[in-house]
Amino acid sequence: MNHCLMLFLQFCKFSVLCFGGGYMLIPLLTAEFVDREQVLTMSEFGNLLSVAQVTPGPVGLNTATYVGYVNAGFFGSLAASLGLIVPTILIGCSAAAGINRWKDTFLVKGMLKGTRLAAVALIMFAVTIFFGMSVFTQTIPWEALGALFKLERPVLPDGFAVSVPGIVICGTVIVLMLKTKLPTTAILLGSAAAGALFAIWF
Amino acid sequence: METEVQKLSRARRLLLLYCSFFRITALVVGGGLAMLPVIEEIFVVKHKLLTREELLDMTALTQTVPGIIAINSAVYIGMKIGGVPGALAAAFGAVTPPFTVILIIASLFPHLDPKNRYLLGVFAGIRAAVTGMILVTGCRMFRRTVKNPLECTVVFIFFILAVMKVSPALLILAAVPFGWCYVWWQTRRLAQAEQTASPGEKPDETSEDGGTAK
Repeated sequence: MNHCLMLFLQFCKFSVLCFGGGYMLIPLLTAEFVDREQVLTMSEFGNLLSVAQVTPGPVGLNTATYVGYVNAGFFGSLAASLGLIVPTILIGCSAAAGINRWKDTFLVKGMLKGTRLAAVALIMFAVTIFFGMSVFTQTIPWEALGALFKLERPVLPDGFAVSVPGIVICGTVIVLMLKTKLPTTAILLGSAAAGALFAIWF
Repeated sequence: METEVQKLSRARRLLLLYCSFFRITALVVGGGLAMLPVIEEIFVVKHKLLTREELLDMTALTQTVPGIIAINSAVYIGMKIGGVPGALAAAFGAVTPPFTVILIIASLFPHLDPKNRYLLGVFAGIRAAVTGMILVTGCRMFRRTVKNPLECTVVFIFFILAVMKVSPALLILAAVPFGWCYVWWQTRRLAQAEQTASPGEKPDETSEDGGTAK
């Protein structure tokens, strides 16, 4: 029960900090559950996000339900989902009218400006987390890349390589998203099929 | 002009909100902004409970307040149509389908560590696609948000701090006082520019500042 209360509060925190949509949850969730508590490995988290992405429903909610279940079963799921929506309902009911009236004040403008800049940076960070799970075979070795600042050749760890299927699919998706208006469902299903096809050769 | 739905009793309205959002999240894959066209079709075109302008205002609002965009949209539309009970009905409607579906999947595969190579391939394919999608979304956000080299530097510093494992929660909290200082400094600079400019002339910087609020 204590565990569920913890989960509820954790997800309340994520909800309040989640500026800029569901993808913002990725850095928050990995910092909490992969790095600190270690209830999930990075590859499990990646698979979990894949499932959340292809099943119907908002990615944020799907991920919360799943992470909650992995942590504490059914009640964990319930606690995580409720944690995600309760702050939104409270904020929505109290501030929905207010924010329009206050939006030109220095306090609201400053907060929005600051959090938006941080949100952009954190979404870019989420991209690098995903790069380590798809385009490369391992998480990006930042410590080794630090050598670049000292003008030395970075020593990459064994097993760190570019994954051919990953880079092909990722590149194709970027082009499709920029050049066509294909629905995301079609893109995701196509990528899933392409991934299975690549599995025959690699 | 009143349509059938606008004359509905309170309870029926709440039921309509619950069922509409249930349908939206049950059918729309991806969530967030992908829900928008469906919301427009149901609430603006079919039931005429919202105007297009209200929906547009709401879209801007749901992206400024914290929280998942899908739930934000449900809460604000519910609020507009049925007050606080409406917000609750819409939010729980939006939550029910993904909660049920994921619960079933999670209870079948709690560890998500498949051994089958084709299934692994499917996951790898989706992960690669999601990487591309987040990258495109991130770049679009960058272009909308970052207006000058200083802001670009700030984003870069936040990014480096995130790489150095500074907690994301801390970064967002630190961004708030930074934003206050930044906006305060910007308005002061603007006021100074207005003072130095000869009367009757408008300084150019107003357009730059006006753009950031949108």
